[in-house]
Amino acid sequence: MEKQWHYLGVDVGSVSTNLVIIDESDRVIEKLYLRTGGQPISAMREGLKMLSERVGSKVRIKGAGATGSGRQLAGVIIGADVVKNEITAHAVAAQKVVPGVKTILEIGGQDSKIIILRNGIVYDFAMNTVCAAGTGSFLDRQAARLNIPISEFGSYALKATSSVRIAGRCAVFAESDMIHKQQTGHSLEDIINGLCEALVRNYLNNLAKSKDIEEPIVFQGGVAANIGIAAAFERALGKKIIIPGYYDVMGAYGAALIAKEKMASSNSPSAFCGFQAIENEYRAKSIECHDCSNQCEVIEILSNGEPIARWGDRCGKWSELARNSEVG
Amino acid sequence: MSITIGIPRSLYYYKFYPLWNTFFEELGAKVVVSDHTSKYILDQGVKSCVDEACLPVKIFHGHVLNLKDRVDCLFIPRFTSISKNEYICPKFGGLPDVVRNTLSGLPAVIDTEVNLRKSGKNALLAAYDAGKHFCADKRHIRKAFDKAVMCYRQYKKQLMDGKLPGDIFDKKAPKSKAHGAKPLNIAVIGHEYNLYDRYVNMNLLQKLKSSVANIITVDMLSEELINEKTRQLPKRMFWNFGRRAVGAALHLLERKDIDGVIFIMSFGCGVDSFVCDLVERRIRRESMIPFLVLTIDEHSGEAGMDTRLEAFIDMIRWRCSCENNLPAYG
Repeated sequence: MEKQWHYLGVDVGSVSTNLVIIDESDRVIEKLYLRTGGQPISAMREGLKMLSERVGSKVRIKGAGATGSGRQLAGVIIGADVVKNEITAHAVAAQKVVPGVKTILEIGGQDSKIIILRNGIVYDFAMNTVCAAGTGSFLDRQAARLNIPISEFGSYALKATSSVRIAGRCAVFAESDMIHKQQTGHSLEDIINGLCEALVRNYLNNLAKSKDIEEPIVFQGGVAANIGIAAAFERALGKKIIIPGYYDVMGAYGAALIAKEKMASSNSPSAFCGFQAIENEYRAKSIECHDCSNQCEVIEILSNGEPIARWGDRCGKWSELARNSEVG
Repeated sequence: MSITIGIPRSLYYYKFYPLWNTFFEELGAKVVVSDHTSKYILDQGVKSCVDEACLPVKIFHGHVLNLKDRVDCLFIPRFTSISKNEYICPKFGGLPDVVRNTLSGLPAVIDTEVNLRKSGKNALLAAYDAGKHFCADKRHIRKAFDKAVMCYRQYKKQLMDGKLPGDIFDKKAPKSKAHGAKPLNIAVIGHEYNLYDRYVNMNLLQKLKSSVANIITVDMLSEELINEKTRQLPKRMFWNFGRRAVGAALHLLERKDIDGVIFIMSFGCGVDSFVCDLVERRIRRESMIPFLVLTIDEHSGEAGMDTRLEAFIDMIRWRCSCENNLPAYG
């Protein structure tokens, strides 16, 4: 049977690395949610390897897209045809899943965002500013401190019987507040529920300030798995929250959709390196450039010992070098 | 041998350098400007300065350290007010004292007070005060000052014509890239020392230019245009920067050719926190123009800035393409 065309989307975030493969009719064929674990390159290699084992013989990748805070790195390693910021990627994906979506709440590992759409286009957005108090990594940390698996965190909140107020403005304050409440004898369930409410309160005050949150509202990103947070959002907004089936890989899904769109209007073949390329050895090396007082921290990506990309320099000297050697 | 005077490339350097430079050179001094802001200068500044100060003040300390061992004296004027009935950030008023009491081993500091709150004529008094260190003849100082003011007016005119200080001071011709996309008109509002210091703002203006945008700054608008709008405010603005920023914003939202407004603010800046909020409210209430706030501090990772900027430009282009029924987000 003739193999179908497919598109790959990769979202390298601070906490998770997600991969999605979609077919010509935008259906998700395969999805992966992996922990980045501070090592984005090995997370991507592992992801590609798993995808290759599962569906490698059945799919032909016609285009690849990269997004997330590690999108530049991902773009080089997988050979992406398009590298997009995560706001656009999340908006594109949410619109595909919930046509006519007007508000997207997205909470990831290190940052949270709100995206407002009107008439099918992004109208406004905001990202968290100074602190990661309202994000997944903070919840992760608290779950670990309380010895509760993060997957069960939300269900604890739903069992709460009374509301306990936790300071939500700052992660350090929140943690000390939680410890105080716990030492005075409040139940774990009440405290966790209080934390969910604090996080939602912080999110709405910080990001959603002066924005009209209209339905349909989609809640996505890794934290959408937490039913306690979703419930707290519904209570605070008095509106219904939709959690899409692929809530945790929406960024990667969006990247795949954008790659598909890009390839439809392009005649050139995909830059995707292929599943075999995971055999290559990838290494990132950091160099401190001493040529001027900026002392830029330059990153060099090596594939089988050959530099394939460099970045991090302010003057462009190093990044140009890699680009030229690529051509020559 | 002539006296060398050091001018830190920071804070009001971006506003008044042509004036200061001409004035001191006319009086026979040799003017030395500190190097461009770099990681080293930032680090030195952050290490030496009091923790409560904002980033621009910390960077100023770094620039003073960069200069102190190669000049005979430093020019750190005490700015109280630069326009009638208006004030500026009080940190400028205390700057010479803060620097003197924080850093040791400094050469002589010329800390002339500049206070134009009551009258613009006080600028001449400031010039006599600063000039007396170089020349005893008041008429000569007066002449130097007149010439400096001429250079300053010329500089303001160049800014109004759309030149950026980097292009003027470094004598680099602005690069224009041929690109298929339609250029966007992006207004960028912020303190000069955040807007024009490319290390501090992570090359914001260049990044905008490479996403094919024409940059509009407050300096490109005439005082008349700005004042016409600020007169409509229910209460007079307290700060010079606030009046100019709010007036510019009110003017911009009436223009039909602005595709987006970016406000760049220092984390912890009192003036910015008021002015930015005021600008944001007016723009959101009275227009559909996309608005983005970029808060800068000591970050050296550019990912956060780049994501916001890319998404902002994407959003504007997406809107434009929808209006023209072109394919989206390509």
